[in-house]
Amino acid sequence: MSATPFASRAQHAVPGIAAATFDLSKVYGSGDTRVVALDHVSIDFREGEFTAIMGPSGCGKSTLMHCAAGLDSPSSGSVRVGTTELSTLSDRQLTALRRDRIGFIFQAFNLLPTLTALENITLPLALAGRHPDQQWLDRVVAMVGLSQRLGHRPAQLSGGQQQRVAVARALASRPAIIFGDEPTGNLDSRAGADVLGFLRDSVRELGQTVVMVTHDPVAAGYADRVVFLSDGRPVDEITHPTPGRVLDLMKSLGALSYTS
Amino acid sequence: MLKTALRNLLAHKARQLMTLLAVCLGAAFVSGTLVFADSTAAASRDAMSKNYADIAVTVTAKEPPPGATPHQQTSALDDALARKLAAVSGVAAVRPSADGVVTMNAADNTPLRVKQGANLADAYLPGTDGKDSRYPLAEGRAPRNSGELAVDGTTAAAGGFRLGDKVTLAIDGPVMTKRLVGIVTTKDTRVTAAGTLALFDKATAQKLFASPGHYSSIDLSAAPGTAPSELAQRVTDVLPTDRAEATTGAALADQQAILVNTQTRGYTKLPLVFAGISLFIGSFLIINTFTMLVTRRTREIALLRAIGATRRQVSRSVLLEALLVGLVASGAGFLLGLGIASVLPDILSTDGNTLPQGPLVIGPRSVAAALGVGVGVTVLAAWLPSRKAAKVAPIEAMRTTEQPPSAKRSRIRGVAGLALLVLGAGVLVSLSGAKDASETNLQNAMVGCAVLVAALIVLAPILASPVIRLTGRLTGRFGITGHLAQQNALRDPRRTAATAATLMISTGLIAGLAVIGNSTAQALDSQAAAGLGADYVISTGTPTTAIESAAVHRVGETSGVRTATAVSDTTATIGGSVQSISGVDPDTVNDTMKLDFVSGSAKDLGPGRIAVSRTLAQKNGVTTGSELNVGNVGTDPKQQFTKYTVVGVYQDNPIAKDALGVRSDVAKNAFKPGSVQRILVRTDGGAVPTTVEKQLRTAVSNSPLITVQDREQLVTQAAGTLGDLLNVMYGMLAVGVAISALGIVNTLAMSVAERTREIGALRALGMDRSGIRRMVRLEAVTVAAFGTLLGLAGGLFGAWAVGSLANAAMPQYSLALPWGTLLLVCLLSLAIGVPAAAVPARRAAALSPLEAVAEG
Repeated sequence: MSATPFASRAQHAVPGIAAATFDLSKVYGSGDTRVVALDHVSIDFREGEFTAIMGPSGCGKSTLMHCAAGLDSPSSGSVRVGTTELSTLSDRQLTALRRDRIGFIFQAFNLLPTLTALENITLPLALAGRHPDQQWLDRVVAMVGLSQRLGHRPAQLSGGQQQRVAVARALASRPAIIFGDEPTGNLDSRAGADVLGFLRDSVRELGQTVVMVTHDPVAAGYADRVVFLSDGRPVDEITHPTPGRVLDLMKSLGALSYTS
Repeated sequence: MLKTALRNLLAHKARQLMTLLAVCLGAAFVSGTLVFADSTAAASRDAMSKNYADIAVTVTAKEPPPGATPHQQTSALDDALARKLAAVSGVAAVRPSADGVVTMNAADNTPLRVKQGANLADAYLPGTDGKDSRYPLAEGRAPRNSGELAVDGTTAAAGGFRLGDKVTLAIDGPVMTKRLVGIVTTKDTRVTAAGTLALFDKATAQKLFASPGHYSSIDLSAAPGTAPSELAQRVTDVLPTDRAEATTGAALADQQAILVNTQTRGYTKLPLVFAGISLFIGSFLIINTFTMLVTRRTREIALLRAIGATRRQVSRSVLLEALLVGLVASGAGFLLGLGIASVLPDILSTDGNTLPQGPLVIGPRSVAAALGVGVGVTVLAAWLPSRKAAKVAPIEAMRTTEQPPSAKRSRIRGVAGLALLVLGAGVLVSLSGAKDASETNLQNAMVGCAVLVAALIVLAPILASPVIRLTGRLTGRFGITGHLAQQNALRDPRRTAATAATLMISTGLIAGLAVIGNSTAQALDSQAAAGLGADYVISTGTPTTAIESAAVHRVGETSGVRTATAVSDTTATIGGSVQSISGVDPDTVNDTMKLDFVSGSAKDLGPGRIAVSRTLAQKNGVTTGSELNVGNVGTDPKQQFTKYTVVGVYQDNPIAKDALGVRSDVAKNAFKPGSVQRILVRTDGGAVPTTVEKQLRTAVSNSPLITVQDREQLVTQAAGTLGDLLNVMYGMLAVGVAISALGIVNTLAMSVAERTREIGALRALGMDRSGIRRMVRLEAVTVAAFGTLLGLAGGLFGAWAVGSLANAAMPQYSLALPWGTLLLVCLLSLAIGVPAAAVPARRAAALSPLEAVAEG
């Protein structure tokens, strides 16, 4: 709910919080080339909530996501996924955490070209050596509308279809939280709308937690909550956004230099 | 464009490392071999001219003309002639010699360093100062009577002789014992290169090697200012030209050097084959590397094209890069080759065979060959990739995403490959009906094998998919990592095939050689022992040497001996060609030889009656009851033919040889009439073998000329040379496998570099570092397995097809698969994937999951 630090909450796992950062900083380089990407950020992502992170290029929104998802290590501060403190984990444990408890949707889809759609969807499960819950899998596949295309290779699918495979892949292992990095960045508006619809449905119908980085006000309009970042720190947030309200806020923050 | 090529080369140092290594190895073997050949030739020329350094002219006896009277046969080389020669103007010194060949026993009664042309003997001829300047005494004194001898230092050391020892020796028959009274030194390279030298007093030497009062040769040195050819002419004028002739020392040295060089040339063949294999395999590596570099550089090339570079400039820049790689590699290879050349003599020299050693001789031919081969192969191999680079369209510069390599299967490739396969297999199968291992058939077999290899190389990309799917069932056991590894190997079948092709060739050759070698060894085994009923074979090894009749008698009397069949060996002309004929005792022959008569029997042998082998019978169209003309091959210049009745035909038998007769009959025409060359000994069952062998050796007076071998030793002797040859071949092919490993390293490093994003995604999605490593390793093993399987199939087929040729040459030959060796070959070829994957796997595992989201 809040982007302001709540020490008591960040130090102890709180029921209902899927992931949280506390006093998170990320600094690149040193001396003259020192760049502060994240500046003491504390933020909670609640279970069953669809959060969009927005901000101009270089505001740190991607870095925040990478750190929260265990892809990148912070310079200081802590990240928690559920009850697990990420800084205490070895690379192997961190890998297992990403595999079992986090789902990813990338801007460039990042499907394995040699695997079929179905094999891509079940890849995290296969990596864990687990058998997919067939019922759940059927439901996910049906939701993203891929039942007829499971045997196809990524090269035989359109961009929108590929991203739907990626959404299904993220959902298949029932992760605690799904991170999306500009999931509609490489899609046309219709395909993008489809993907965003699936993400919203997964939150509404399946109780999934989703965090998405985007610079598109329309995409942010699908979220339950929009957090605005500027110069490495959260500056504002709104709940139940509409594209119009998002755009207005962006204008009022004077941050209209969105480029990609 | 030179600058671009140079920059590219430097930018991809690591990529080119493997190419460099492969070309470097190939060039090293080529230049090493050539330098070795040059150096050895120079060293042997040097050594020979040293041996003949002081000899301007040699006078030797002429072969007496046919039908010469006994008077004319007497040598003209006596002291009178020596004095006459000393008076010829321009002669500085006269050195007569009475030399020949003597075989000695070492102190432990085993033959000492027996080698053709290296067991020299001479007379010690004191000069005016009482010393023989050719053989300076190091210890003791010169031999003075027929009971004494002197040897050189190396002979004494090798034989374990000390002054005062009794030395057992033989020339061509009876065994003699003489007391060692002196040790001399000699510079004769035939002796110093693991030979022997024995010296006798003048009278003894003349009796042994010439005739009393005569010499075998008289060496003359020239006074300063007299040319040897001029001297030879003057000497010829005073010689009785019907009985003696003069030759210059230089001519003799040349003759000797030619002999040694022929031997050396034989040695250079193997390393050159070695070079050929490493360059052939290396060329695949080069093609692969440059193709991948061009693929990776597509955008850059397109950009060059877009800003105005012509196709020709683009392809030239690739070729230029190849030229630079080739130059660097050849240069390094040449230096490495010098190293190889300096160690080759030691590797090729065995105890009984030392190669002359000298300084390395670096001829322009070696340098040119190393550079030419290295640069040529590299540029030639880079030609296809350079064409590919030229085809890059400028528009490719605008494409952002990486292009997935096309996995299109060319129909042309399939058709061409199948055509080659059918052709190669057809040639080989057609040979399976061949009746002999003639030159033409062998050449056809080689052509067939070469076509087969080409077919496999062409078809490999098509075969990759089904074969790897098959191996995928095994890698699939490793779960998703195995599945991904299989899929990755299949992603670019052409690249996989080209990588595996190198391994395929090596494995195929090794497997084929192993099968043929094993089959041949088994055939030799059974052949060597097949015809033998005896437990021991006592043999002189040559028809020109005899076993004394007393020794034959003693062998028969030895306790534990049941039967001893004396055999006379000689040669005879039958049906226009020279055949080996054995004279035996018809009563005992069945106890010591296992004869398998097709018709007739050994019982009917007698004067004027012979039995022949099946091959000889077929060749001459004779059967039992036929008559056969047998011509004697002896010292008698006029050949006489005698009619023999064929009383039996037996299956080919290496102990009985081509024909059997009664001994009295055969021995008449022997080189030494009436002599015995072999004794086949059958013992009473249960005799202790070692003591019998010792007793038999004693029975033949421990003669250094005679070998006593049991069955096992006979078999080992027959298989020995083959085993050595195969081991050398295996060694060379192992290098081929190692180069293939370099290819796998290269390919994997490239694919890891191409797939950073994908590997990043896998890391993000939850594959840990060990999983990534395992995936890369399994991909390497998959590629290796593909190459191994293909090679194995090709090698086995080739061995099977060529086998029939071997069968024609050796009746006992049958395909015998060396399971152990084949299994080892497979495991090694597969295992090569693991170390090859080490570096690329580590690099892949080090990739961060953030690579997945990095801007591409």
